[in-house]
Amino acid sequence: MDVSGKSPLKIEKLVKKYGNFTAVNEVSFEMKPGEIFGLLGPNGAGKTSIISCLVTLQEPTSGHCEIFGYDPKVNPEYTKVLTGFVPQELINHGFFSIEEILVFHSGFYQRWHNKERIHYLLKRLGLWEHKDKKVKALSGGMKRRLLIAKALVHEPKLLLLDEPTAGVDIELRASLWDFVQELSQDGMSILLTTHYLEEAESLCDRVGILQNGNLRTVGPTRELIEKLTERKVHVFFDGVCNEEISSPYLRNREDNQAEFVIPHGVGVGDLIADIQCNVHKILDIKIEEGSLEEAFVHVLGEHQ
Amino acid sequence: MTIAPKYRPFLTLYYREIRRFLKVLVQTIAAPIVSSSLYLLIFGVSLGGRINLESGLSYLAFLIPGLVMMSVLNNAFQNASSSVVSGKFGGDLEDWRTSPLTPRAILWALSFGGLTRGFIVGFITFMVGQIFYLNNHGSWLAVAHPGYLLIFLIIGGLSFSMFGVSVAFWSKTFDHLSAVGSFVILPLIYLGGVFFSLEGLHPFWQTLSKANPLLYFINGVRYGILGVSDVPVETSLIVSGGALIIFYFIALRILNTAEYTRW
Repeated sequence: MDVSGKSPLKIEKLVKKYGNFTAVNEVSFEMKPGEIFGLLGPNGAGKTSIISCLVTLQEPTSGHCEIFGYDPKVNPEYTKVLTGFVPQELINHGFFSIEEILVFHSGFYQRWHNKERIHYLLKRLGLWEHKDKKVKALSGGMKRRLLIAKALVHEPKLLLLDEPTAGVDIELRASLWDFVQELSQDGMSILLTTHYLEEAESLCDRVGILQNGNLRTVGPTRELIEKLTERKVHVFFDGVCNEEISSPYLRNREDNQAEFVIPHGVGVGDLIADIQCNVHKILDIKIEEGSLEEAFVHVLGEHQ
Repeated sequence: MTIAPKYRPFLTLYYREIRRFLKVLVQTIAAPIVSSSLYLLIFGVSLGGRINLESGLSYLAFLIPGLVMMSVLNNAFQNASSSVVSGKFGGDLEDWRTSPLTPRAILWALSFGGLTRGFIVGFITFMVGQIFYLNNHGSWLAVAHPGYLLIFLIIGGLSFSMFGVSVAFWSKTFDHLSAVGSFVILPLIYLGGVFFSLEGLHPFWQTLSKANPLLYFINGVRYGILGVSDVPVETSLIVSGGALIIFYFIALRILNTAEYTRW
């Protein structure tokens, strides 16, 4: 199926209600081909509900979704083949071995004789030596990796990762994110939800921040950080500096150091010029950039 | 032979169903054979010698078709319903829902899975019955109408698989499922003419029994094997076929509207 140039995901005014409770409230955003998009938000923000609507586990109350131009409600036969889904909760397949599970899953996605791909994924995700084991014999991290292998067995164009690293140790998280980046470099579009904001910051090209079912903001990760956070500049002086420092950006002053908080539009050079300090007395300058976590807290705080 | 991609999800799930019940062979195949053998031994051989039927048939011969159909119906129901219920627990239903498997493909795959298990257990029950018959009568029990036998077994197996799928999707707890088994299926099967012939019943009970659709399933198989039946085979065919259509549309509606989320 040729989907080149088409938007991997387009959501318009999506609403999902459970009885009187509105889990998703008129959410709209669009993904670009090949990007990693992070859907962030506290628990209960509506992230899983959005993904559930995309994979037809839930029916939207109103609004419209498109996966490469196809509506999952109207053309699920296309959207399902194009999408790989990693659910938040682990699945226990009882009777079957890991390899059997992948063979069946491959068949569900219309692919028979897919051993080569299955073996590649088993090896790439470190499951090869466990391929004859049943799910219950796997550790939590291995179960997560199995979910990812299942989602990739049919080589989807869009990968939906709902908290793929929940309960996974640091080392494995890092290797999974490396793999996600590799998939992205191969041209796969990826939508992920995660609570690890530091990792989302380094991984996601763009992010959307959800709160109480509302999409509060969406944009390129770096731009959002710059827009919503400030830079901290620590200036260390050689010995005790008795000079008066007058700057609107001065936050804190001690004997041999001063802390400034500057907006992203203001350069460090401008700050130094502005405080009219003898440059020879400056021993060191340390700059702390804003983080996605700060931007996240800022956005949530604005709407509370 | 190349299978068109759109049929592959259905065939994969059907294959998975067969693999599933073969993995627990003792529970799914061996246990039902033991119970059928006990029925044949106690009712057919031990008590059957004291029962005289108006048709002149031996009670053992009368019992064998009923037990074959009972095996098919029970196993078809259990296979389909247990697959759905274990899927609700494990999360497999979410996999099915998010994959290209359509509700219709899921229904047919589970139904053929149930039918296959029912066929295996039914065939072995028939062969065990043949051994008892050979031992008692010195000859094999000949099948009178193999075509009718096959048709009624297929209709019965598919119907009860679809019934099992419907009940399992509808159930919110294990109690719901076991309640249907105990209070609906068991009475219907036992009162459907597995162990008795209508000819010996009071007219009131005869009328009541004729309202039980399973009477037609069981008598259809009896006609297929023995060539005799309490009801005309054409009537059995119409009622059984009608029941299959009704079971199909009910099951399909349930699958189209059901939640595939786990318990």
